[in-house]
Amino acid sequence: MAGGGVKIGIYFCNCGSNIADKISADAVREASRTFPDQPYVATVDFICSESGQEQFVESLTFERPDRVVVAACSPRDHEGTMQHCLARGGINPYLMQMVNIREQIAWVTEDRDRATEKAITAIRGAVYRVRLQEPLRKKQVAVCTDVLVIGAGPAGMKAAVSLAEAGRSVVLVERSPFIGGLPVRFDELFPALECAPCLLEPLMGELLHGDHSEAIELLTLAELWQVTGFYGNFIAKIKKKPRHVSLHGCIGCGECTLACPATTRNRLHNNGSEQKAVDFAFAGMLPNAPFLREEVCLRFQGSDCRACKDACPMGEDVIDLDEGESLLERNIGAIIIATGAGLFDASRLAGMGRGMLPDVYDALQFEHMLSSTGPTGGGIVTSSGEVPAAVAIIHCVGSLDGDHCAYCSGICCQYAFKFNHAISAKYPETVITHYHRELVAPGKEAYALMEAARTRRNSSFIRCDSGNYPVITPEGTGRLQVRGEDVVTIADMVILCPAIVPAEGADRLAALLDINRDCAGFYDELQGRMDASQSTLKGIYLAGACREPMDIQKALLEGMAAVGHALAGLQPGRMIEVEPATAEVATSRCAGCHLCSSVCPYHAISFDSEQHVSSVNGVLCRGCGTCVAACPAGAITGHHFTNEQILAEIEGLLK
Amino acid sequence: MSEKPKLVVYWGASCGGCEIAILDLHGQFLDMTAAMDLVFCPCLLDTKKKDLEAFPDRSIAVTLFNGALRTEENVEMAQLLRRKSKILVAFGSCAQGGCIPALANFTSKDALLNTIFIDNPSVDNPLGIIPQVSTAVPEGHIPLSPLLESVKHLAQEVDVDYFVPGCPPEPHQIWRVIQTLLSGDLPPGGSTIGCGTLTVCDECDRKKEEKRLTAFRRNYEFYPEPGVCLLEQGLLCMGIATRSGCGAPCTKANMPCTGCYGAPDGVNDQGAAMVAALGSVMDLGDTSRLSEEALGQKVDDFLASIPDYAGQFYKYSLASSLLGR
Repeated sequence: MAGGGVKIGIYFCNCGSNIADKISADAVREASRTFPDQPYVATVDFICSESGQEQFVESLTFERPDRVVVAACSPRDHEGTMQHCLARGGINPYLMQMVNIREQIAWVTEDRDRATEKAITAIRGAVYRVRLQEPLRKKQVAVCTDVLVIGAGPAGMKAAVSLAEAGRSVVLVERSPFIGGLPVRFDELFPALECAPCLLEPLMGELLHGDHSEAIELLTLAELWQVTGFYGNFIAKIKKKPRHVSLHGCIGCGECTLACPATTRNRLHNNGSEQKAVDFAFAGMLPNAPFLREEVCLRFQGSDCRACKDACPMGEDVIDLDEGESLLERNIGAIIIATGAGLFDASRLAGMGRGMLPDVYDALQFEHMLSSTGPTGGGIVTSSGEVPAAVAIIHCVGSLDGDHCAYCSGICCQYAFKFNHAISAKYPETVITHYHRELVAPGKEAYALMEAARTRRNSSFIRCDSGNYPVITPEGTGRLQVRGEDVVTIADMVILCPAIVPAEGADRLAALLDINRDCAGFYDELQGRMDASQSTLKGIYLAGACREPMDIQKALLEGMAAVGHALAGLQPGRMIEVEPATAEVATSRCAGCHLCSSVCPYHAISFDSEQHVSSVNGVLCRGCGTCVAACPAGAITGHHFTNEQILAEIEGLLK
Repeated sequence: MSEKPKLVVYWGASCGGCEIAILDLHGQFLDMTAAMDLVFCPCLLDTKKKDLEAFPDRSIAVTLFNGALRTEENVEMAQLLRRKSKILVAFGSCAQGGCIPALANFTSKDALLNTIFIDNPSVDNPLGIIPQVSTAVPEGHIPLSPLLESVKHLAQEVDVDYFVPGCPPEPHQIWRVIQTLLSGDLPPGGSTIGCGTLTVCDECDRKKEEKRLTAFRRNYEFYPEPGVCLLEQGLLCMGIATRSGCGAPCTKANMPCTGCYGAPDGVNDQGAAMVAALGSVMDLGDTSRLSEEALGQKVDDFLASIPDYAGQFYKYSLASSLLGR
């Protein structure tokens, strides 16, 4: 096409009066005579309208230009429309350059002559650029309908089971050795005081042994390690720590645990009991198979003990003492994050005694105390084994506090009233004092528990709205003194209800997936009200308390909402078009410095250690151009945004 | 017997290092002078400008012109040599891109003279005398060539046939250049010769991996790990944006590349390529919760670990860079 043989068509959209009032098409036509290759100029009234598009395609078919410039609105509005018209006119869509003369010129320039001059300049730049543009073709990739679910708490389990029911394959990654999340170790749930493990049992059963459980690959002691790709075609690498006990072969008889000679203190029981190196995390844990703690097992301290393996009645293969860490790779179409939440660390607040005074518990510790599988077998007793005569329950620990968690977690009051109920049901004479900043009981069910606590004979409420936290100090007799708002009470046990915060590791996962977090560290929604189930990255959905503090009911609903997104988008047989404006390494210029692979946000660049050159995977590459700018050897070309094209555009603008 | 082709080695604003590099051909220097007649080289021979003027135009086969153009005399000699030579080679970084002399372009001619002759701790010049273009003495006038407003590289004043990079060019590459020019099988005009086609990383045998830089360090601060990329260790190594061909003697001696072979083909500004590359792998840690001011401070702290941007990134190529200085 060298030697002046390029035929260029400029299509000027009047956009009714939007553009025509400010920019003169005639002046553009006049000026275009001085442009290289003397393009022809055609005017269209509304090029994006149906009739405008017809006129455009007809003209393209008649004129057969080699290159096209469309001077109209923002490419964000109609680049796709225009590219589609080019394809219909038999021209490769990448041979078009769009100039935004509406938003960037007509709408923001008062003076008609100035606007026209600016438009001529911008169109001239586009003409210089478009001459160097090359035809590109979109690649088509089949959509993968499998889904990765991260976290096997209520939201994640619900999502996994529902996707499996819908015929989808699911990879369920859980970093702990068991499923069920936090509430599986609770006793009763608010507001109706149902037994938590009993409520979760059917869902867990469905997941492990249900009609569709074959479609769920459960990976315990596993964490996401790396994700590449994009919606419809992610590649996830998952790091799986050794459990040393096969989930398939083990029936959970516990013979290995009995035989194991190594013990450690049980942290879930506040170190009040012992656990074996190969053991269950707690009674009734699912999957019903113990796991081996290498840091406790004698074999990993140098001995050749194999007591557990010898004791296993299910054969040689169930316990694998040599199992190592493995890195699994799975192709999936979407990711559901259901990593849940944790508690604000109340030991960060001086004067509350958390971590210092043995009878100051946080809410999770107290939930475990209430549980029949907990350290006291469900008994409410102080560290010295006594029934508490007085209990202080402190709400809003770290919450509603600009220095810590500047939000209300919304569920703490309700479980605090549940605690009130649990204590008073067993010990009606125990005095309970609630210290709170605010009290919330939203929804149709929460009021009853609150009212029960408020009307109870031995319960009282102290509002601490001065901004200071109650101060807890040991009292001479081994009891605790609680001073809040100048009211001093004596308690045998203090229960702190800290703010709900994102689960440990939420930051790492966000960095790994490149999704945003809000100022409290929860995963950010695509839109807080309209699109709260979607993360900021397409194909990554949010479910449950990883997004916002919430109760189990809401977490399960969110699990289903995420499933809805995954099912609606990932239809079998659907193809995904991959943009061809990607980067490419000229291997003859690459000296293998590895700089490009350091900067690629999509992990699309790999290194060929035999040829000593980098290469870009065209499916994973999103065409961001970071590597193109970074490559100090000038070895990487960004298709559709080559240095030559960009410099030509600048040259055209400056003419 | 036909005459041997004539060779000229001339210097503009230069340090003499290029001549030393030519002498470092050792035995091959004799081979060179056996094949070519070195007719003009102020560093080595006593021939004068008038001898050069006496040669017919285009009678010199090859001129290796080193040094930048600092004075009007440099320009005059460049034009004269262009006229007399069939092949004019911009030899070394000064002739190719301005090199160290061109760093003066960051300041004015007057400021430069002031720094050299007046405001300088090692100069005692109570009368504030600055050299003049013409100074009257009882015997007559002493002329001095005027300085140009800014330092130029050779191709900014005359047509250049080939460029040979290096500060100075490595002797093994000089020998290759001589052989190429004598062979008659000449590369396309305007090419850079006596060098490789990749970057210094290709010749550096240190292991390269992904790069994340939290700050730069300088040589005196630590002993670099052998076998590991110097840039990854925080030394500001220009090898990634520098044409290969030298054989990476610096990185092999634990010193970071300073970039003397200039930009590789396909890169039109070595300093800009380097800045873009380093900016891409600058690691400021987790910046997600930082205020704009705090983020700015982090960037400033990072940049403060680079002592001299211009001297670092444009040491060899300022005159030919996009900065247009």
